[in-house]
Amino acid sequence: MHEKITVTVDDAHLGQVADLADQLSSAGMDVEQVLGEVGIITGSAPSETRAALKGLAGVSAVESENSFQLPPSDSEVQ
Amino acid sequence: MTSVNIGGSGGPEAGLSDQTGEFTGRYLVVFSDEVQGDAGATNATMQSVAGISNMASTLDFAGGAADPDATGDAEAMLFAELGVAIVSAESAGVGAVGALNADPRILSIEPERILYAIEDHPLSLEYVRGYRDAVANLYEQLSGGCETGTEAGIAAALADNAGLTWGLQATRASTSPRTGVDIRLAVLDTGFDLAHADFLGRPVLSQSFVAGQAVQDGHGHGTHCVGTSCGPKSPAGGGRRYGVATDAGILVGKVLSDQGAGSDSNILAGISWAIANGANVISMSLGANVQQVSKAYETVGRRALQAGSLIVAAAGNNAGRAAGNNGFVGIPANSPSIMAVAAVDSDFRIANFSARSNSVTGGKIDIAGPGVAVYSSWPMQVAPNRYHTISGTSMATPHVAGLAALLSEATGARGAQLWAKLTQTARPLRLSSADVGAGLAQAPQE
Repeated sequence: MHEKITVTVDDAHLGQVADLADQLSSAGMDVEQVLGEVGIITGSAPSETRAALKGLAGVSAVESENSFQLPPSDSEVQ
Repeated sequence: MTSVNIGGSGGPEAGLSDQTGEFTGRYLVVFSDEVQGDAGATNATMQSVAGISNMASTLDFAGGAADPDATGDAEAMLFAELGVAIVSAESAGVGAVGALNADPRILSIEPERILYAIEDHPLSLEYVRGYRDAVANLYEQLSGGCETGTEAGIAAALADNAGLTWGLQATRASTSPRTGVDIRLAVLDTGFDLAHADFLGRPVLSQSFVAGQAVQDGHGHGTHCVGTSCGPKSPAGGGRRYGVATDAGILVGKVLSDQGAGSDSNILAGISWAIANGANVISMSLGANVQQVSKAYETVGRRALQAGSLIVAAAGNNAGRAAGNNGFVGIPANSPSIMAVAAVDSDFRIANFSARSNSVTGGKIDIAGPGVAVYSSWPMQVAPNRYHTISGTSMATPHVAGLAALLSEATGARGAQLWAKLTQTARPLRLSSADVGAGLAQAPQE
């Protein structure tokens, strides 16, 4: 199943975030955003590729994407 | 180099006491950074300026724990890890003190004080109890017998008045000479009402990270948070002031939709954008009820601090304290490098909904802000139009962000330094640190 993921790039590879995005892509990730400023790559990938993505040099973490939801506009507590 | 101080004139005698306490007759010698940590250099300093050759050191003891009985007849004892030595009175005679005093490798020399554990306090418990009863009696008389049970004796409960919200009064933003000028503050939320009457003419740098939606705020939450953190000194609408950093540069990143929904990819992109655009403070009134720290947010929080951007985030509203549920700090506020903000009310009580520290590393509350019945701006076209009064850790967070901007302007501090300034200057509350961390964030008064 295709899952939304967030990949954290380790400190040693902050200068090569774009290269790492290419490698993630080759390993099966559908890369959507490359955030060089903070060393984060977002996108989606089949769950069976997770181990391979995590194993790439420079990948510090592969996490499932979190969702956020505010209460409705007319709530007293927000 | 800092100037050298020596407490007392000519040095106090052993066992004597003055108004400030009793002295042991020994001296505390504080070494400069130049020699601290270098055993050879500290020894050489003591040798050359005070003639002391037999200095014992904590490095001589296992685990650095000095045993005073085992130091023998050493004239001085060096706490190597601290860069501090204790010198006996005979060794540090007036002449030696003078020589130490003049040496740039020495920061200060102070007479060692005798400190007592609380149990050994010279005041008897009975005396203190009588004192307490007398003060309580006096308080009751003065207050007409009305015990509020909250911050009595520290401050009376506050309320919005014609000129100011209670939150600006409680944080002393109302009397701060600082306005956040030249500081950039980013609010990552549901966007902003770019046509709000109170912000006309104010430059706003904005960007939407929500596919298919413009920055214009269709929810209200984002406009409320921008108002609290950066609202004007004199609102065009004529009502009371509600904004903390009235001259801060405003950055608006829309990371939550008009329906209030968002995801990591929106939020992380917003943080990246804010850092790239020089945000000194990033305010995020959002969270997910997940206990475990996210590696992504923690890493980004740390990199933001290194880049000079402090991220403050809402602790979360998942408590129901009246029902015995204290809740927990969720993502992203549970990241050690992201400041978690709790909410208190105008009586300085913890808000019913305000989440408590969670047990994971970093999952603690760091600071509190005003977060109950908070009046601020609201989109002109969203009910109840123009202004709205709501509650939440979401409302406490932009207060703290605005205060961070004022402190950053006042002190020049950025990143981790700014974090330290915020917690150091927070006002202690009579509440558990698990609920309010360092206390209520405060504005600089100079």
